Amino acid sequence: MPNCHLVICPVLIPLLSGVAGFILCRFPRLRAWLAIAGMSMSLACSFLLFFSVHQAGQPMVFQGGGWAAPFGITLVADLLAALFVLMSQLVLLAGVIYAMGSKDSCVGYPCFYPLFLFLATGLTGAILAGDIFNLFVFVELLAISSTVLTAISDDRYGVEAAYKYFYMSQLAAIFLLLAVGALYVSCGSLNMAHLSVLIAQAPSTMLLPLAAAFLMASFMIKSACFPFHFWQPDFHTAAPTPVSAMLSSVVVKLGVYGFIRMTTLIFTDQASQIQTLLTILGVAGIAYGGISAVGTHNVKRMLAYSTLAQVGFVLVGIGWGTVFSLTAAIVFAFNHSIVKSAMLMLAGHVASRSSIKSASFSIVTGVGRKLPLAGVLFFLGSLSLAGIPPTNGFISKMMIFKSGIQSGHFYGLILIGLASTFTLVYTMRAFMRIFWQEPSKGIYTKPQGDRLVAPVLLICLVLALGVFAEPLVELAGETVNWLVNPKIYIQAVLGEVL
Amino acid sequence: MEILTAFAIGLTFAVGLFQILRRNVIRAAIGLMLLSNAISLYLLTTGAYIGEKAAYVGIAVGEPVDPLPQALILTAIVISLGTTAFVLAMLYIISKRYKTCDSDALTGLAK
Repeated sequence: MPNCHLVICPVLIPLLSGVAGFILCRFPRLRAWLAIAGMSMSLACSFLLFFSVHQAGQPMVFQGGGWAAPFGITLVADLLAALFVLMSQLVLLAGVIYAMGSKDSCVGYPCFYPLFLFLATGLTGAILAGDIFNLFVFVELLAISSTVLTAISDDRYGVEAAYKYFYMSQLAAIFLLLAVGALYVSCGSLNMAHLSVLIAQAPSTMLLPLAAAFLMASFMIKSACFPFHFWQPDFHTAAPTPVSAMLSSVVVKLGVYGFIRMTTLIFTDQASQIQTLLTILGVAGIAYGGISAVGTHNVKRMLAYSTLAQVGFVLVGIGWGTVFSLTAAIVFAFNHSIVKSAMLMLAGHVASRSSIKSASFSIVTGVGRKLPLAGVLFFLGSLSLAGIPPTNGFISKMMIFKSGIQSGHFYGLILIGLASTFTLVYTMRAFMRIFWQEPSKGIYTKPQGDRLVAPVLLICLVLALGVFAEPLVELAGETVNWLVNPKIYIQAVLGEVL
Repeated sequence: MEILTAFAIGLTFAVGLFQILRRNVIRAAIGLMLLSNAISLYLLTTGAYIGEKAAYVGIAVGEPVDPLPQALILTAIVISLGTTAFVLAMLYIISKRYKTCDSDALTGLAK
């Protein structure tokens, strides 16, 4: 297996452009254009990576320094990783474009774009990492850069939100390190492919259940699923819009990615217990997120609770564990990332046009009456969140429900069906209040605000993926065909050592 | 020796966890540092009791130790240094902005 350097490009390019951004700290416009150029280049590389993995029919592997797999640092791009990298880079590029058109003063700080690019590096690296310790390193990079990005927010409570988020992500990192120790003691390796082989050989080693539990805890905090969601709504009210759009859409998918890897590659023997837990957490998250989103008083808070519910759907898909439900979960994750980042950007746009910069309903009510384009986009995004055609949300929700019917989980289906009706209630309520109601006295619409380029692009993608859903669904199906046969991944990483 | 190390790690963990749950934000930061030290010790023990000679130094007589946990700790220590510096910087801003060290008084977002 030749050493493939394309795999490291989506990690390396944002890192290098981030460093260059620090050097160019005296030229603000140039810095922003550099960030866009870097993200576009790495998006192009991710496209290339995805299609070459798809063409080659086997995972592409980068062995750092030429050291063979269980010993060196390995980056692996199988179809799942390549698809998730593609999704993240798409949304991250949209985030940079939004930040360029943003009126916030924090996007003008010299550290903003470099940190944003480091966030991209951390996220991409964590997805591509082939061993658990590198996953930890990239996750730390991601956590620290996103915390700083929150702390420099224009909102005066940004530091408080950053403080909460930082302690939560540190807790996740501690759990991840505990898992690293437990796995190293019980198997003597940290490479995921090697671990998969070793765990299959000796499935009843004493520390393995503990390691699985620690990894679960870490990914649960990362994906902000049901009992660990409490930092998310606070975080989203205070973070700068481009950052909160990234964290609610693609960064939570890192946890989802971890769950998929755990159930299909590392802990295939213990997968049924993990899946049961994921189903329960997912259903609870859908119900709790839906009810809480109805009861909020802030658009961004509402969208944060909505993320809790939507991640619940993905977890339910992973939890049911059939081939079709895993496909549905991957399609759902992809579609949700795009629509949720677009919705948060639209909420940020409305907040930037309101009299005080806030997304609270008492301030943004009626602000949208003079913003027809934002209104149309928000309406389409709401349709997608609620799962109504012709948007991509319909495709993903239909696939989840169909997989539930196929595998016969009718109690779960009834619960999530009832709970997902809340989505329509809260999104339509938000739409009516912002874009329909008469504004109360003293509320006016500012003539200038954040630009709408990024949400327009993302909503176009939402519609395109709703009308032409076939390619994505087929690619996700192929991804799952690779996933259910972990031999493909192991053989690509370890070579002929099997 | 193993028992002693195990107790030391457990104690550091317990104290760190207790401090992180206190209301005083400075105590919470100390708790975070203690927890990351406890983790480093824990990672150290994963390879500490097999072999006793330093690996890759000269021609080792006897069984060399596993160098990987040491490499892991080195990375973890560097990262925890960064996080500690960052959390202290954040505490400075919080104490200036809110004029308090009580984390229960940081209720700006709840309103």
